[in-house]
Amino acid sequence: MSQQTVAAAFEIFDDAASVATAPLLTIGVGVLLYLVCDIVPRLRAARGLAFCGTILVALFFELRILGADVVPGLVLDKTFHADHTTALFGCVFLLGTLLAWAYSVGYYHASKPFKPEHDALMLGAPAGMMLMVGANDLIVFFIGLELLSLPLYCLAAFKRSRIESVEAGVKYFLLGSFASAMLLYGSALVYTASGTLSIPGLLDADLSSSTAVAGLALIAASLFFKVSVFPFHMWVPDVYQGSPTPVTALMATGTKAAAFGFLVAQVMPLLPPSGAPIVAVLGLVTMALGNLGALVQSDLKRMLAYSGVAHAGTLLLVVAGGMAGADAAGALNATLYYMVAYVFTATGAFGLLALMEADGARFTKLDSLRGLAKSRPGVAGAMALFMLSLGGIPATGGFLGKWFAFSVLVDAGMIGTAIIGALLSVVALGYYLRVIVVMYMQPASDVEPAPTTQRPMTAGIATIVCGVFVLATGLLPSLFLAPLAG
Amino acid sequence: MSMLVWITFLPLLGAIGIAFLPATNTRLLRQAALGVTSLVAVLGLFLWSSFDGSIAEPQHGFVRDWFTVALGAGDVPIRFALGVDGISILLVVLTTILMPIVVLSSHGHIEHRVKEFFVWLLVMQAGMLGVFLSLDLVLFYFFWEVSLVPLYFIVGIWGGERRLYATIKFFLYTVAGSLVMLVGMIALIYGLQSSDLMDLIGRTGELPVATQTWIFFSFALAFAIKVPVLPFHTWLADAHTEAPTSGSVLLAGVLLKMGTYGLLRFGIQLFPGMAVSYSSVFLVLGALGIVYGAFLAMAQTDLKRLVACSSVSHLGFVVLGLFALTEPGIRGAVLQMVNHGLSTGLLFLLVGMLYERTHTRMLDRFGGIATVMPLYAIFFVFTVLSSAGLPGLNGFVGEYMILAGTFEASPLWAAVGVTGVIFGAVYLLMATRRVLFGALVHDANKKLADINAREIGIMLPLCVLCIWIGVQPNTFLDKTAGSLDALAKRVEQERIDQERGQAIGRIEFDAPSATTEGEESR
Repeated sequence: MSQQTVAAAFEIFDDAASVATAPLLTIGVGVLLYLVCDIVPRLRAARGLAFCGTILVALFFELRILGADVVPGLVLDKTFHADHTTALFGCVFLLGTLLAWAYSVGYYHASKPFKPEHDALMLGAPAGMMLMVGANDLIVFFIGLELLSLPLYCLAAFKRSRIESVEAGVKYFLLGSFASAMLLYGSALVYTASGTLSIPGLLDADLSSSTAVAGLALIAASLFFKVSVFPFHMWVPDVYQGSPTPVTALMATGTKAAAFGFLVAQVMPLLPPSGAPIVAVLGLVTMALGNLGALVQSDLKRMLAYSGVAHAGTLLLVVAGGMAGADAAGALNATLYYMVAYVFTATGAFGLLALMEADGARFTKLDSLRGLAKSRPGVAGAMALFMLSLGGIPATGGFLGKWFAFSVLVDAGMIGTAIIGALLSVVALGYYLRVIVVMYMQPASDVEPAPTTQRPMTAGIATIVCGVFVLATGLLPSLFLAPLAG
Repeated sequence: MSMLVWITFLPLLGAIGIAFLPATNTRLLRQAALGVTSLVAVLGLFLWSSFDGSIAEPQHGFVRDWFTVALGAGDVPIRFALGVDGISILLVVLTTILMPIVVLSSHGHIEHRVKEFFVWLLVMQAGMLGVFLSLDLVLFYFFWEVSLVPLYFIVGIWGGERRLYATIKFFLYTVAGSLVMLVGMIALIYGLQSSDLMDLIGRTGELPVATQTWIFFSFALAFAIKVPVLPFHTWLADAHTEAPTSGSVLLAGVLLKMGTYGLLRFGIQLFPGMAVSYSSVFLVLGALGIVYGAFLAMAQTDLKRLVACSSVSHLGFVVLGLFALTEPGIRGAVLQMVNHGLSTGLLFLLVGMLYERTHTRMLDRFGGIATVMPLYAIFFVFTVLSSAGLPGLNGFVGEYMILAGTFEASPLWAAVGVTGVIFGAVYLLMATRRVLFGALVHDANKKLADINAREIGIMLPLCVLCIWIGVQPNTFLDKTAGSLDALAKRVEQERIDQERGQAIGRIEFDAPSATTEGEESR
């Protein structure tokens, strides 16, 4: 490398870039720190501190961007950007990771010796997510996606004593790599047609050639795989069910939020408006498949997996609305709000399942929740709150998320789609309510649940945090909307 | 701070407070719930006395910014806006004074999980009051959906044998309607860039007619399901029958009124033009509801189900009166909402008292009850007569005004409605005969205890109101006069405008198009 390029590299890395990438760098340093703590016997006790500290410092940097009037914007040769939206996404990723980790503390019994590796992998995941939503270049996005996916592949298979977990890991790895390959191939085609990989460049380029359209379709397809949209949703139930539950929480919320963030902010403006009806139909079919699939499940984890598919369908309707001419900033804000609410709700719901499993339940059958309202009113109350939020009942964030999503559709003039979507979400309430029915309205089963193991306090705190955020997103939306308005 | 904020949130504070009381001390829980609801009732009476019925605009307004949404062209402020006017005052006060009665009536049948019951009851009260008091579309929807959840629990936990089926059916039916309404509501807010109800009233005409039409029907669907108007009535019979007595009283007394209130507020007041254009649809559905509900009631063998079906019939009257779109019709309908709450509430209380003693609701298990429970019989006959519309009691005033108002608009549907009065008398009196009179054939019924002081105390205030409305309805009608007069005038103006518009259309366009229009209007 000549001296000039090195100098140029330093020139690129200006003040704005350092502000924008500070959270990412913090995570990188944090992972190393964590590993050091793990190696040095005297520092082992500080591992938890290292994990939380890293997240909190990164959170501080994100909040700094969120609170600033002047945002870094496009940095690093226009490959990465940081503004209020990405900062809010970043905060959500970091909090989501912290929550998933909190639930994982008491979760692993058999694989306990490997818990540090687990934590290190988990700590790396939000870096990938933040890179994804901030990416303004297809290659940067690809790096972010891999940075997120590789830890998740390992984490999915982490409960090695269980065959389902291993199966989940392998399945996720194979199909995920396939999706990554599609993304790369799509990027290559787009590059062939336009000569650029940067999103701002692509916005100016002519993308009407068949090569470019095929490339964009492949990129969209790989994103659809990541967010589990029909017809790329088949892997979801198996992988979600087989993975260790705290990992499922991270997978279901983080991946979806990051991929949708990039899809709506960067890819959506590239897609031709004529594709909007196709995307809308895909969204509706995804909602229908997710909801109908969830309706027949007797396993809660599987049910929540299908419910995640349905939520992806709703967000895809937002993408369709944005393609059809709705205000792009409105679509991005709607996606963001929906995801903020969903991350806390779903993490909480999966987390409570993790608690149940840690208490000895081999499977997360719906019936094992019977009479929970009586035996553990706190857990049942939190679960009921999360179910109502997933179902979009007011006073919870799920409602406002749905409100904003439908607003985008109305903005785009897609009234019919909005009404069908609304009716499909009625189906969803069918299974969310069933969980509440089982907990509150059916007597406890004869088989007594296994005695409660020592439950770490972190899980309780995590549940409270999720509950507070679910209610805050439902009652005080200005808290989350105000930074975006500027 | 406005009194309305206290009325809405005091129940919620009460619910939070009760949640921290010990679950085993049911006596304390009952007293606490009674205390909170009584306090709210006193506030309701204060509101009543300070409310000026001659003013059309909302009173006791309270407005705070809540959040802002960017919709299309500009930022729309969503506000926390409460206010009470002649359309809502009766229902608000009814909700506040019915609640202590509901709490007292829970004594006999709510014996387990008492704490949860009162928490949900109070949350529901807050939700219902919020629905009637909201002057912002989003806030209204917020309370509308929130009020669903408590009833879902009340029916699902303390209900009868088929409670799970009934409660899920109730929830899904209502939610299906409200989600379609949500899309319509967003489109309305988006189209007019405002979520302020008072601002939107009078501006809906700015939207294209096609948009107005579908938004109107998206609202109407949600409310029609809630009322319920004819094809959507099946959830009601199940929910009513399976709900515990106190739940049924609440359901009949207030919850169904959310539907008729919505039809009046968001159907007629918000879209007067659409209401005029499509009034015939609702007249037909209302009249059919009256007759069909009455036939359903006649065919029932379960006393509680019979009362539930009678609700369909009685609410048919309310819908008929509302969409007659004449002044007496609308005022009668608003009064009839209260009447139905009182009479049907009483009927459910009476059915509940009998059920607690006999553990059956089957009509053929009764007969001759009057000989063992004479006091009960007095109240039963009184309530049945009030429900059937005996002159001098409340039902008569409401039904008379509705029918008179409907006759002005459409003699045919008024005539159909009148048959409902007759059928109503038939099924109610038949039920009375089968329960109270005849020989006391069942041995189990021979040792029934008559109603006690508490039960009389619960029913007495409602009976007093029944007589009061029957003898001196103006006490209540005057409170609604200002708002409803203004509303009726606006609707009348709209009707004249539409007719003139059609007339102009006939003159301006050539003959063939005029004939097609004439055919349509026929």
